[in-house]
Amino acid sequence: MLVNWIQSRYRPRIEAQAQTRPTHPAAAAGRRRLLFGLDPRLFAIGLAGGVLSGLLGVGGGIVMVPLLVLWAGYAQRDAHAMSLGAIIPISLASVLTYGVAGKVHPVDALLLAAGSIVGARIGAGALTRIEERPLKLVFGLFLAAVAIVMLVRS
Amino acid sequence: MNGVVLIVALLAFGVLTGGAAGLLGVGGGTLMVPFLTLAVGMSQHAAEATSLLVVLPTAIVASFFLQRKSVGDLKLALRIGVLGAVGGVLGALLALALPGHVLKLVFALFLGLVAVRLLRDSLLVR
Repeated sequence: MLVNWIQSRYRPRIEAQAQTRPTHPAAAAGRRRLLFGLDPRLFAIGLAGGVLSGLLGVGGGIVMVPLLVLWAGYAQRDAHAMSLGAIIPISLASVLTYGVAGKVHPVDALLLAAGSIVGARIGAGALTRIEERPLKLVFGLFLAAVAIVMLVRS
Repeated sequence: MNGVVLIVALLAFGVLTGGAAGLLGVGGGTLMVPFLTLAVGMSQHAAEATSLLVVLPTAIVASFFLQRKSVGDLKLALRIGVLGAVGGVLGALLALALPGHVLKLVFALFLGLVAVRLLRDSLLVR
């Protein structure tokens, strides 16, 4: 498929990037795994991401990505990957508590999910290739847009 | 919207949301909820519940893809997420007791500051 072809073209570059990719300071500084097998900062970020998303009705990713980058010292690309992984248990819990009780429109959800699974591969593929700076730019613009919408609404 | 147009619109918007989610490291609910309320005409409650069902497979597909490319650390991320799920329950309970508008204002300002910082980092520093 097209996606595979594009990925095969970029693979050497991904591997080169993977070697030079900065590891995060907490991992480099030795394994301080105190709370729940996690570095205290990551523990706080997980909890804060959940609390703020429950409190404000925004996704956990919008909270966790900035904290992972600015506080825990992750590279932008890794922060995005970590955030996506953390969203799995968070959204699973939400689906079980809120989604099942809520008025889900199953056909709409199925169609959106079918499209979004394809899109997720494309987007994640782009994430492995994009440079750090344009990624910061795109995410910064996204946050600015979310902030403006929130301000206007409140 | 009539049937066929709606089906195509949902599929297309799904691809768009999934792509943005995979690149931005978010679930995509931020984009989907306004679309479902404004374009499809769902209630806020139904839109949130429906978008949750889409966020889960999106995050799974993107995470496993990134795990294969060894970007990030999925095991660690899942553990952070379990804490996040616990935090989410606390947050939902707190939301009942705290003034929502003030919190949203403060949080929007926080996001604005982070956005300025990221834009500065990507555009100005060297």
